[in-house]
Amino acid sequence: MTRSVWKGPFVDGYLLKKADAARASTRSEVIKIWSRRSTILPQFVGLTFGVYNGQKHIPVAVSEEMVGHKFGEFAPTRTFYGHAADKKAKRR
Amino acid sequence: MTRDLILMGVLGAPHGVRGEMRLKSFTEEPLAIADYGVLSDEPGQRQFTILSARLVKDDMLVVRLEGVSDRDKAAALTNTRLYATRDQLPPVEEDDEFYQADLVGLAVEAENGEPIGTVLAVLDFGAGDILEVQPASGGRPIMLPFTKAVIPTVDLAAGRLVAVPPVETSGEEEPPEEAV
Repeated sequence: MTRSVWKGPFVDGYLLKKADAARASTRSEVIKIWSRRSTILPQFVGLTFGVYNGQKHIPVAVSEEMVGHKFGEFAPTRTFYGHAADKKAKRR
Repeated sequence: MTRDLILMGVLGAPHGVRGEMRLKSFTEEPLAIADYGVLSDEPGQRQFTILSARLVKDDMLVVRLEGVSDRDKAAALTNTRLYATRDQLPPVEEDDEFYQADLVGLAVEAENGEPIGTVLAVLDFGAGDILEVQPASGGRPIMLPFTKAVIPTVDLAAGRLVAVPPVETSGEEEPPEEAV
């Protein structure tokens, strides 16, 4: 067994507690976090985190495909706006 | 620029001596810009039809335009912005799908009709679409996830969105010192 496998994914401890509390709550909630290094776990699916990018908290709605990635991957620190052209937005 | 005009791409430098030129495409699929028929410049005085297009790299194309047959004519068009009208875009196929161009500029209101702000941009960093909203009261833009829970109503005809901004809770007892 490789070292990375037996050590398991890294998550800052307080995130687990906050995620449990948010799941128990019925209201729409964004959990502000600074921990870009934490791995996204299956129990985070369906929650929305506000991931700090150095300036502001970017809303990250966690879906199944994001499990195993780090929060920081979804909150870039440099924003390129681009042009809308024919691009579409999907309301989930 | 009027709201009906949508920027689709920008012409670049000439490519070769036969009138071909580079085109930076802003469409979702870069080559799709050739499917929109006649494009125009910003004042609408010149019309452009793309006869052929091929992908060079990422969103950069090499195109041949109708009526542009030599390098000098192509060079004269460098940096020309190409626009389509909103009517040229096909209707969206799925429910709850919107053109970003339609969302930008919409007024954002609370459920009780109180103004929240105006949509500045639609962003997607891989975790769903996000609306960047300039608050009506001024200050820094706020980010709202584009979900049914947060944006229950999109009324394009009335030019407004209804938003229920989510409650923000701190995920840490105290933010780290370097972040404050």
